[in-house]
Amino acid sequence: MSKSNRLDPEKLRSDFPILHRKVHGKPLVYFDNAATTQKPSQVIQAISTYYETSNANVHRGIHLLAEEATAAYEGSRGKLAKFIGAANPAEIIFTRGTTEAINLVAYSWGGEFLKEGDTILLTLMEHHSNLVPWQFLARRKKLNLEFIPVTDAGYLEDPEGAIRRLRPKLVSFGHVSNVLGTVNPVEKLTRVAHEVGATVLVDGAQAVAHLPVNVAKLGCDLYAFSSHKMMGPTGTGVLWGRAEILERMPPFLGGGEMIKEVSLRESSFKDAPYKFEAGTPSIAPVIGLGAAVDYLSSVGMENIRHYEEELLDYAFKKLAAVPGLTIYGPQNSADRGGVLAFNVAGIHPHDLATVLDQEGVAVRSGNHCAMPLHTHLKINASARASFAFYNTKEEIGVLIEGIERAKKILKI
Amino acid sequence: MDIYREEILDHARHPLNQGKVARPTFEFHAANPVCGDTMDLQIRMAGKPARVAEVAFRSDACTVSVAAASMLTEKIKGMTAAELAKVSEKDVISWFGGSLTTSRTECALLPLKALREALGG
Repeated sequence: MSKSNRLDPEKLRSDFPILHRKVHGKPLVYFDNAATTQKPSQVIQAISTYYETSNANVHRGIHLLAEEATAAYEGSRGKLAKFIGAANPAEIIFTRGTTEAINLVAYSWGGEFLKEGDTILLTLMEHHSNLVPWQFLARRKKLNLEFIPVTDAGYLEDPEGAIRRLRPKLVSFGHVSNVLGTVNPVEKLTRVAHEVGATVLVDGAQAVAHLPVNVAKLGCDLYAFSSHKMMGPTGTGVLWGRAEILERMPPFLGGGEMIKEVSLRESSFKDAPYKFEAGTPSIAPVIGLGAAVDYLSSVGMENIRHYEEELLDYAFKKLAAVPGLTIYGPQNSADRGGVLAFNVAGIHPHDLATVLDQEGVAVRSGNHCAMPLHTHLKINASARASFAFYNTKEEIGVLIEGIERAKKILKI
Repeated sequence: MDIYREEILDHARHPLNQGKVARPTFEFHAANPVCGDTMDLQIRMAGKPARVAEVAFRSDACTVSVAAASMLTEKIKGMTAAELAKVSEKDVISWFGGSLTTSRTECALLPLKALREALGG
């Protein structure tokens, strides 16, 4: 009996209303989960219920609605802390998403603790969101940006050696690559980084909905992720930080909500997480994210990982049999998340995506916000199929048929 | 599929005016940030009034971009600068018979973008 029998995709699919719609007259096959996942009714319902019954601003009112809204908003913080194994809900900062979380670290932590000549170590496989904020900071503070190279097989090349040699102040990298799918060895890299006194930030955008994530076990210092890639709504995300680091970091944006006392010339600020949450937060999305965490927990992250690994194995086998098809990144599913970027010889990924769309299959095509990685792979663009636990082997069959159809239409 | 009808595929597979112009009057490099596709357009003007005497493009791009470049370069031969400036987005889109989605419209307009930048620069 396979391990994934603990997860019934057909049953879970019934929780996602959008999976029942048709696209160009064909059943939707949604393989663009790395861009954003679909939302279960439980999440959609949590958002409507909040607006229909408890809508109020948080942390301010004395009235009942404000109390309820605050309880729901703070309740999500507690759920998130538990979900990723944080020591304390105060270590969960709600941001607009992964991008804002990384910018927050660059501005606040980087602005405070980095000085001219310091090194930030990134990797060649980063999403632009874990690259451009550091370019801004490096220009502002005259820092060195260094990059861990990527092997032809899609793994980081001697990352420990790079950390020991370059002695960076910060090491920041993706937990799971959004193109290669590579699951990077966070624990090992963090250990080495801490040996040289570096702080470690992990971009978990492609990991949290696909693998069990426990920040205490990973050992890193900061971990960023987005709600909308984990069955939650757009508009929010999380920066987790170890309490002692958050304590020393200055506020990010200034405004209401984050202050203790304000006079005309100066202000004092609340403690973390509030000093990082200026202005009215995305209350409904945060409540929706709490419902998404409940949902993921009820399915079980171990079950999700096992099922997606099985799905990935199947996709590998089927795609590898397609003549002219190249899959980028590690060639075994144990080392990767559910992201499969590929190209078919003679077909531009945009053309492939257009034909697949006509068949109801949604894939991403382009450089997936990872231009430097595509330059390294010596390609302009790739097609990317990315999976979630509600995808099935039958759907992978539809993808393969679509690729064959594209070859026929484009006369390859 | 209309977007990949025979005429479009023909242009993409055997594009007209692919290559280089020896002494271009205008040239420009355009890129589509979504996919990293690129298009280099070169034009030599000659005569009085000056008209497009030679035009060529090089590309690393999708079917839609290449087909659009092939058709655009063919269309603009013999045009004056004033006529070139009048080639519109609507013209290019119409060559695809209304089959382009918003995202693929960007692909089709890549060569026109190169042409406009070339004229402006």
